[in-house]
Amino acid sequence: MDLRAGDSWGMLACLCTVLWHLPAVPALNRTGDPGPGPSIQKTYDLTRYLEHQLRSLAGTYLNYLGPPFNEPDFNPPRLGADTLPRATVNLEVWRSLNDKLRLTQNYEAYSHLLCYLRGLNRQAATAELRHSLAHFCTSLQGLLGSIAGVMATLGYPLPQPLPGTEPTWTPGPAHSDFLQKMDDFWLLKELQTWLWRSAKDFNRLKKKMQPPAAAVTLHLEAHGF
Amino acid sequence: MERARQLEKYLCKMSVLQTWLVQALFIFLITGSIGVLLDPCGRINPESPVVQLGSNFTAVCVLKERCMDYFHVNANFIVWKMGHFTIPKEQYTIINRTAASVTLTDVTSLNIQLTCNILTFGQIEQNVYGITLISGLPPEKPKNLNCIVNEGKKMMCYWDPGRETYLETNFTLKSEWATEKFADCKTKRDTPTSCTVDYSPVYFVNMEVWVEAANALGKVTSDHINFDPVDKVKPNTPRNLSVSNSEELSSILKLTWINSNIKNVIRLKYDIQYRTKGASTWSQIPPEDTASTRSSFTVQDLKPFTEYVFRIRCMKEDGKGFWSDWSEEASGITYEDRPSNTPSFWYKIDPSHSHGHRSVQLMWKTLPPFEANGKILGYEVTLTRWKSRLQNYTVNDTKLTVNLTNDRYIVTLTARNAVGRSDASVLTIPACDFQATHPVMDLKAFPKDNMLWVEWTTPSKSPNKYILEWCVLSDKSPCIPDWQQEDGTVHHTYIRGYLAESKCYLITVTPVYADGPGSPVSIKAYLKQAPPSKGPTVRTKKVGKNEAVLEWDQLPVDVQNGFIRNYTIFYRTNIGNETAVNVDSSHTEYTLSSLTSDTLYMVRMAAYTDEGGKDGPEFTFTTPKFAQGEIEAIVVPVCLAFLLTTLLGVLFCFNKRDLIKKHIWPNVPDPSKSHIAQWSPHTPPRHNFNPKDQMYSDGNFTDVSVVEIEANDKKSFPEDLKSLELFKKEKVSTEGHSSGIGGSSCMSSSRPSISSSDENESAQNTSSTVQYSTVVHSGYRHQVPSVQVFSRSESTQPLLDSEERPEDLQLVDNVDGGDGILPRQQYFKQNCSQQETSPDISHFERSNQVSSVNEEDFVRLKQQISGIPQSCGSGQMKMFQEVSAADAFGPDTEGQGERFKTAGMEAVLDEGMPKSYLPQTVRQGGYMPQ
Repeated sequence: MDLRAGDSWGMLACLCTVLWHLPAVPALNRTGDPGPGPSIQKTYDLTRYLEHQLRSLAGTYLNYLGPPFNEPDFNPPRLGADTLPRATVNLEVWRSLNDKLRLTQNYEAYSHLLCYLRGLNRQAATAELRHSLAHFCTSLQGLLGSIAGVMATLGYPLPQPLPGTEPTWTPGPAHSDFLQKMDDFWLLKELQTWLWRSAKDFNRLKKKMQPPAAAVTLHLEAHGF
Repeated sequence: MERARQLEKYLCKMSVLQTWLVQALFIFLITGSIGVLLDPCGRINPESPVVQLGSNFTAVCVLKERCMDYFHVNANFIVWKMGHFTIPKEQYTIINRTAASVTLTDVTSLNIQLTCNILTFGQIEQNVYGITLISGLPPEKPKNLNCIVNEGKKMMCYWDPGRETYLETNFTLKSEWATEKFADCKTKRDTPTSCTVDYSPVYFVNMEVWVEAANALGKVTSDHINFDPVDKVKPNTPRNLSVSNSEELSSILKLTWINSNIKNVIRLKYDIQYRTKGASTWSQIPPEDTASTRSSFTVQDLKPFTEYVFRIRCMKEDGKGFWSDWSEEASGITYEDRPSNTPSFWYKIDPSHSHGHRSVQLMWKTLPPFEANGKILGYEVTLTRWKSRLQNYTVNDTKLTVNLTNDRYIVTLTARNAVGRSDASVLTIPACDFQATHPVMDLKAFPKDNMLWVEWTTPSKSPNKYILEWCVLSDKSPCIPDWQQEDGTVHHTYIRGYLAESKCYLITVTPVYADGPGSPVSIKAYLKQAPPSKGPTVRTKKVGKNEAVLEWDQLPVDVQNGFIRNYTIFYRTNIGNETAVNVDSSHTEYTLSSLTSDTLYMVRMAAYTDEGGKDGPEFTFTTPKFAQGEIEAIVVPVCLAFLLTTLLGVLFCFNKRDLIKKHIWPNVPDPSKSHIAQWSPHTPPRHNFNPKDQMYSDGNFTDVSVVEIEANDKKSFPEDLKSLELFKKEKVSTEGHSSGIGGSSCMSSSRPSISSSDENESAQNTSSTVQYSTVVHSGYRHQVPSVQVFSRSESTQPLLDSEERPEDLQLVDNVDGGDGILPRQQYFKQNCSQQETSPDISHFERSNQVSSVNEEDFVRLKQQISGIPQSCGSGQMKMFQEVSAADAFGPDTEGQGERFKTAGMEAVLDEGMPKSYLPQTVRQGGYMPQ
């Protein structure tokens, strides 16, 4: 009996030690995630959820913008939307990205997109649309947090936004109304593309992370017993 | 006019001034009082304390110098009060000259008014300051915090707030992401245990939530919970649930529905329940079959042609979160299938069959829905005789009557629905000369669980099936059997028809073999017994001096209500205790013994079933005083003894007859043959005498005789004497006035009976009158006794007259009295002429006496009757009536009536005589002189 009790205590102590030595990430401390696997999965689910959310939001918003933006085959040239982060990338380039770079690009893109989106929110006319936009913004904020969490879990530092490059929404007479709408259109389109890409990114990352996560678990168990 | 206006103005001013004054005074008073309030004599510290229940509390009262000087007091004069209750000095502490504190230990009241007072001038308590002490409890740590996200709505969290604090306690729900804080959610006053956040939760991002409870006594925070809102989702209910069947498979139904939008975000699992329509309990589809997102499901293993009701709900596939609400119920009917069983099949042969043919009623039961598997469109019956197909019938009904020969038949029955037909049910109807054998054995029937169970032992030959028939046994209605079929392997079952309680059922079990039915066996049973509804009616069959044989009828089966197990006879006398005797139910007679003779017994009887008894009506009987034959045993010997004695007496008399005759029956001389009888010159020929005839035929009314009688006042005279006296007088008067006249002879008819004892002469005077008393006179012993012996009459004419005419009664009385004589004449309406003299009367009277006279007289009378002349009829009547009026019986007309009646009977003997006169004659004259 004593022996067993001792064993239990030993196991507990060992577990505590292991937990203590786990990468201490402030963002993830509270969730108590054992590894990056679940958070990557969750981030992946979130991108899918946002995709779903955006689909209905974009439909509503484009209708709000009116024709020709709400026409299904409307495909204007990318004019005046250069400030938006581009999601499209050469497949080879994408494949060659490492995890850190991949996560960093995602984080940076969504940081920018979120800022633009908040500007969109301010303009939206109807309460329902504003509400949808606000909820989407909150969700996107959550995605940013999730990516930050994954990066923290994996030990990558968050990209520091450069003081001069902080994107700000500049409403005003500079843009014509149509161009403004064009910007909005491209913002939504780019958001959609980025969400597609992120889903792929996190799926790839998820697959990549699974074996190490299993190994950690196994290692822990071996150590514990 | 002007003056009036001025006055008005003045008044107006005055009223304004007055109003102003009042207002000013009011304001002054208000400010005065506020001034006092605003500047109290001291203060209590703390001002508005909140303390924990059960803890100690100390308050300090600090007096102001001004007041202390004014009232000449210091801290020693402070008195603490809690409401109206003065706190004891022991709880005070004097801090210095101006301040004193009080300590309240173990505060239990929620709200205490605490005041600081000073005793001015030794006695007068003056309030200085007051505070309200509020007590309560610090909040407990909220427990069981949980949140729910109703799909499409905002998140709501709820918790258990812990104990009551008695204070206003605020709960704040706090939530945050790792990177961001959300706005606090403050509970509303009416829902302190839940809060709905302002924002739509973001799925797949973990958030941390906790609750903060705070009141005046403290603040406490619940445990933090960390979750992904998607794991707290309660999806919306699947909608548009519909059910469709399949013609190919009668055992399946396909459900389709529309999922809620959340299926785009999370994977769902389902919970599908179903039941047959009308059933109350739900069956569950195995959860593993519905563990993934889908919008349709096919339910299998259902019964054909049955309506099922379905409902569905869903939740997150991994089981995190909440089940949605149940969907609306949807129902569908499975497709039909061929009948899965054969109908129960039986037959009945009409007992009145003609030669060579018999009428057989084939009957079957409709299949229950779970075996019919659809709507039964009809039945097909096939009759086969010696393997040669005879006839096919298609029947919609459940019975068919066929005429069969006496041969053996094989009958088959199939039920048909839209899909197909059932297997055939085969029945053999044996030939006429078939002998049923192999009955079931040990047949038992008993109620259990409100059903009537039948149990038997399988016969040695194993049957194909059993047929159970049952019916209510009743005297009022015939036995109309119902029946059911049981499989050949069954040896106990219950009766599936409707059964009533307290009815006697006759249950018959018939095994059915391949070659025909076996011998039936019957048994009686009750589903539930009850006490009989009527008790047996007991009566006596024979009652003896000390015993009584009681008998009764068996109760009719309709009132038995159960098996009569025994009877109880209760019997008692009027005063005695009741005695009960139990009698076996097989008896219908019982002998009560050791009864008391000549006693009234009350007996009743109760019949008992297993459930109780019922008394019958009470019957009373009386035991005789003597046993049968006892009286005879006494009477017969007594009679015999008497007879013997009489015989002996007669013999003795016969032997000594001469001697006796000499003493008792002396020879009486016949007055008619005497010489004196011929003396009277007016005597009519005896044998022609008939008073009536004489009276009317002759019409001899002119010859009226007048008799004068002296009235007498003496009423007290005995009648005999009265009449005696009367007669004496009359005799005198007759002698004096009218001797030899018919009237007097009428009168004299009564005379002899009176005068007989003392005057023999008078008798001889009266023409042809035979006096009774003269019979015993020794002087005539040689004469043969005649009818005249009994002739007598005490009737007197005056008395008769007085009755008919009451005013004359007085006179009669006077005559009777003897003194104060009031002579008066008595008129006879009818003349008693010479023919109607005494001899008539004697004849007349004689006839009345016939019954009481000996045979000899009677014969004589008969001879005389023919010759009686009818005279003096009415006169005679009057006379007799008068006699009765003066009779000792008094003027009792009823008595007279009676007498008339009796006389009437006797008068039949004498046709010629007026019946109504006879009794008076009999009564009056017959016995009086004796």
